[in-house]
Amino acid sequence: MLMHVVNVNKDVLKANNEIAQSNRKLLIRNRVFTMNIMGAIGSGKTTLIEEAINALGDRYRIAVIAGDVVAEMDASRFEKLGVKTVAANTGRECHLDAKLVERSLADLDLKNIDILFIENVGNLICPVDYKLGERVRVVIVSVSEGDDTVLKHPMIFKSSDLAIVNKVDISEAVDADPAKMKADIKQLKPSIPVLLTSKNDRISIDRWIEYIESYIEE
Amino acid sequence: MHEYSLACEIFETVIETADKNKAIAVNSITLEIGGLTHVSPEQLLFCLDVLSRNSIAEGAKVNVNFVPPSGECECGYRGDAGVPDKLRDEDQPSLYEYAIQTCPVCGKLLQLLGGDELMIRTIDIEI
Repeated sequence: MLMHVVNVNKDVLKANNEIAQSNRKLLIRNRVFTMNIMGAIGSGKTTLIEEAINALGDRYRIAVIAGDVVAEMDASRFEKLGVKTVAANTGRECHLDAKLVERSLADLDLKNIDILFIENVGNLICPVDYKLGERVRVVIVSVSEGDDTVLKHPMIFKSSDLAIVNKVDISEAVDADPAKMKADIKQLKPSIPVLLTSKNDRISIDRWIEYIESYIEE
Repeated sequence: MHEYSLACEIFETVIETADKNKAIAVNSITLEIGGLTHVSPEQLLFCLDVLSRNSIAEGAKVNVNFVPPSGECECGYRGDAGVPDKLRDEDQPSLYEYAIQTCPVCGKLLQLLGGDELMIRTIDIEI
């Protein structure tokens, strides 16, 4: 009987990154601008994507990969707006991973897409560890989650390119201070742009749309 | 959270490695978990334990080493994103504590590097 130590040196998490990298290359090659939209259940991910489709749908060809654990409710909301939608059901997982996105990309005609929104599964923890191949990571947090939410989930804000504090019109009713939330995000990542939005405030929605366009024009 | 699927991948690698080396038993597995991942070691070990039952890896000891992220600052400092003094060695700093780590030289927020790995380092087998 012999004891033997085998050096494996395999990074289980980075295996996902390799697929994400190949997704990213495929998307760049086809000139598809891709946003990974992350946020908790009820933070407003679907609504903000809908607003973007309504505002940009005339000028850009838009598609959505709608991540959900099982249902296809969000996917049908996007389809109603006339955009190509792929429902990526994770089954039991709490996040989208690069492999699922790779499979979803195969269902899309990438040559005829300008903007691809990937709506991640609703949570602020698991999506952080999984890159998908996106160009821009967006985190949405609503005031109704409580204004201490940002500091409870620091890594999603540190790993994002744009942060949105949503539903600011109901701040008073839920006793949350959106300015504190913005300051907390800035403390974690001073360079990140932070938008305060509400679907009832057209100006704030326009700012969100302008941001998307500014990335495309870069 | 996603510990079960990670445990599945680790378990598959362990079994493949054991088979390839014609092992008769797996004694131990050494993992490295980066301090910035959201992986819960207790849950991961529990999932691995359940998966290993009735396999060649049943009862294998799983050693976990934690890897602190390193930090970089615009002032030129580069080093470990140190464990705050108030924490004892065996405690993992929280993600929040890492997230607000400041540069020991100039006090600015550190840019964190690494710390996002989940490595299977070695597998100790009997052949």
